[in-house]
Amino acid sequence: MTASTPEPLLALSNVNTFYGQAQVHFDLSITVARGHIVCLLGGNASGKSTTMKIILGLVKPRSGDVTFDGASLVGLTTPQIVRRGIASVPEARRLFADMSVRENILMGAFVRNDREAIAQDLDKMLTLFPKLGQRLSQRAGSLSGGEQQMVAMARALMSRPRMVVMDEPTMGLSPLYVDRVLELIRTINQEGVSVFMVEQNASLALEIAHEAYVLQTGKIVLSGSARTLKDDPRIRDAYLGGAEAA
Amino acid sequence: MSSWLDYTINGLIVGNVYALVAVGLALIFGVSRLINFAQGSIYLVGAYIGWVAVVQLHTPLPLTIIVVAVAAAIVGLIIERFGLRPLQNSVRIAPLLATIGISFVLDQLVMLTFSPNPRALPSQLPDVRFQVGGGTIGPLDLLIAGVGLTSALLLFVFLRYSKLGWAVRATAQDRDAAMQMGVDVNRVNQAVFGIAAALGGVSGLLVGMYYNQIDTAMSLQATLKGVVAEVVGGAGNVPGAVIGSLLLGLVESYGVAVFGTSYRNLFAFLLLVVVLVLRPNGLFASARQAPPEPLTGTFIAPSRPVRIPRWALAVAAAIFAILPLFPVSFYVLQTLINAWLLGMLALSLTLVAGTIGQVSLGHAALLAIGAYTSALLSLTLNVPVGLAIIGGGLMSAALGTLLISPSFRLRGHYVSIATLAIGEIVSLVILNWESVTRGPIGISGIPPLSLFGTELISPTSIYWFSFAVMVVLALLQGRLLTSHLGRSFRAIRDDDIAARAYGLSLNRYKSLAFIFGGFAAGVSGGIAAHLYSYINHETFNTQQSILALTVVILGGLGNVVGAMLGAVALVGLPEVFRIAAEYRILIYGIVLLLLVRFRPQGLLGTI
Ligand SMILES: Nc1ncnc2c1ncn2[C@@H]1O[C@H](COP(=O)(O)OP(=O)(O)O)[C@@H](O)[C@H]1O
Ligand SMILES: [Mg+2]
Repeated sequence: MTASTPEPLLALSNVNTFYGQAQVHFDLSITVARGHIVCLLGGNASGKSTTMKIILGLVKPRSGDVTFDGASLVGLTTPQIVRRGIASVPEARRLFADMSVRENILMGAFVRNDREAIAQDLDKMLTLFPKLGQRLSQRAGSLSGGEQQMVAMARALMSRPRMVVMDEPTMGLSPLYVDRVLELIRTINQEGVSVFMVEQNASLALEIAHEAYVLQTGKIVLSGSARTLKDDPRIRDAYLGGAEAA
Repeated sequence: MSSWLDYTINGLIVGNVYALVAVGLALIFGVSRLINFAQGSIYLVGAYIGWVAVVQLHTPLPLTIIVVAVAAAIVGLIIERFGLRPLQNSVRIAPLLATIGISFVLDQLVMLTFSPNPRALPSQLPDVRFQVGGGTIGPLDLLIAGVGLTSALLLFVFLRYSKLGWAVRATAQDRDAAMQMGVDVNRVNQAVFGIAAALGGVSGLLVGMYYNQIDTAMSLQATLKGVVAEVVGGAGNVPGAVIGSLLLGLVESYGVAVFGTSYRNLFAFLLLVVVLVLRPNGLFASARQAPPEPLTGTFIAPSRPVRIPRWALAVAAAIFAILPLFPVSFYVLQTLINAWLLGMLALSLTLVAGTIGQVSLGHAALLAIGAYTSALLSLTLNVPVGLAIIGGGLMSAALGTLLISPSFRLRGHYVSIATLAIGEIVSLVILNWESVTRGPIGISGIPPLSLFGTELISPTSIYWFSFAVMVVLALLQGRLLTSHLGRSFRAIRDDDIAARAYGLSLNRYKSLAFIFGGFAAGVSGGIAAHLYSYINHETFNTQQSILALTVVILGGLGNVVGAMLGAVALVGLPEVFRIAAEYRILIYGIVLLLLVRFRPQGLLGTI
């Protein structure tokens, strides 16, 4: 398919997904190479979030396979999948609003038991997200959208994942924070974490992605390296089509 | 003479007991958005295990408490594992109904094991009282306060400092997000049910000691009080549940001080209804908080109803109509008369619960209103019985709709709680409004059924009369459902936001459904009053409400033919198999559990 080297870290192959009678994915195939940032683009209701849910085991595909590091994820529960090394930054952040920022970040380390290393990682997060230092004991629900996004990212990294999946990490953020989030995604990636992200904002996402796929009403209509896609006029068309379908 | 301080102490002590129940309910609601109607049954089990420990095993007090907590926790774990976990992916009403079924089964098992007679549960503490200010306080008061405080402290430490406690809090706030952190939600549920059951069981033990008496009626009372306290504090809010409980204890205690003991529960349920109507998120919820029930989504299992051809229905009706012409026993006719009366109630409930999606747990109150109205009209005003029954139906329609209308804006579980409370309020008003209802004495000498001056005394004529009334009501309801109105009802049930967007006035449609349903139930109650010739405030109780709900689910929610079939099946089959009366409720509970698990759409399917 795309320009990916040997064995991909994550692979969806011929996934078909249904909500009741309605089909959301049609033979969806996506691969994420080790160490890459892969972006899934598409308009509203094209099935992007459902793709995240398939990877995380929150929704089960009717047919097709999802493999991570060569082993199938189909049939595993969400906690089991998380323990394999996938962390998530969900759509709209989904922090634990009544828990403190510190507790939220530490919840990310739920699957770990190495207390000291967890404490060190918490410090590391505070250097990566310096603003959160003063907010640690505040209710997570009281933070601004941008700050919440930082907490959600820190929370995801606390499990020391091999891959992070993110659902529209820039949605609803001020331009300042959008740049900051993209920069952070790049930093995270440079530290060796593979990233699979869902975005509506194609031009932003293609800035940092290695590869990208374009989803339109459940079908991949376009894919390739980010560099080539950036100049592809079809991306604009596909996009408008997707937006119309929504 | 008790002083105000005594009433305050009593209120706080009783509040502590409620808190042990309510905290468990709040924990469970928090993580699984479920009102556990079996919480009171665990409390009952706790009280009886305590009785066995104290009276038969002579355990010392600390050991008694530990034995009760552990045994109750085990019951809680069993309920979670086998009663609720299999329902994780079913419709949202399923777990609620399952806890109702479980509570019937547990209560009946306790009753069958220990007999329904009250037992004394001696307090294991010396019976002395110390003067405090103007009041007195005893060792048991201190014990209850101590257990309450210790439990609160342990729970706080658990939630705040243990990993599993964090998982519980995270799950309560966002289940999906918690799963994405690697939290195993089944373990969280297990923990929460275990803790809730341990606290509930100990609460039952303490109450038994406090009043020095335990009996099986404790169960429903405890569930109700716990739910009141929890909802007052804000569903799912653990500290709120504690405060709500203390408040409830005080309100009850002061209410009793001013008005007398028989008003105790009335205050509890009035408090609930007021809070539900004015602040459905509880007293302490922040204004921005979303209501704890999602506003859309299917509460009732959709399915394809079984089509029964008209001629088959006509044949079935004809067979039942001519049945008395054959040499059938008085006993068979009697059984079927009961089935027809229950069928009318089920018609009413299937309209309200199935067609517009308001799952009522207090439907027996409509029977009571119809029965009292009809009885009083014929007795005191000499209204002919036929007219009096119609009057009963009209009164049920009017009063029932009026009483329920404040909770029209509630959905899902909250409707069930509100209707349950309203049902209790009706029964308590009947108990206390002596000048009209004759209070606890009840009404006797109600004239027998009669039609156009002819008394219906023979079982055959009563059979025909009740069967005919039910069939007429069923035909009317069938008409209603196929009309435009019926479609609007279903639109409201499926998605009231969308229905509102189409310009449907929810309150008007909900009122219409309750008016029609209230009439059918009131007529059933009216007939029953003249049939029994004696009624009191306990004749129409929650057990009947739940039986009607089981009938309706058995037949298929919203399904008119199903309601009648369900009534015949649930009343008739235990007779056919000659199941002893004391096992029947147990059977109903098991039927409900099996239905929810294996055939939530009922025999004939939901409509
Ligand atoms: N839980 C659900 N039940 C039924 N349909 C759903 C559910 N979640 C999403 N859908 C539908 O599936 C389609 C894809 O949704 P989604 O994956 O959230 O799209 P996107 O994230 O691209 O906006 C939409 O048409 C949406 O309405
Ligand atoms: Mg989405």
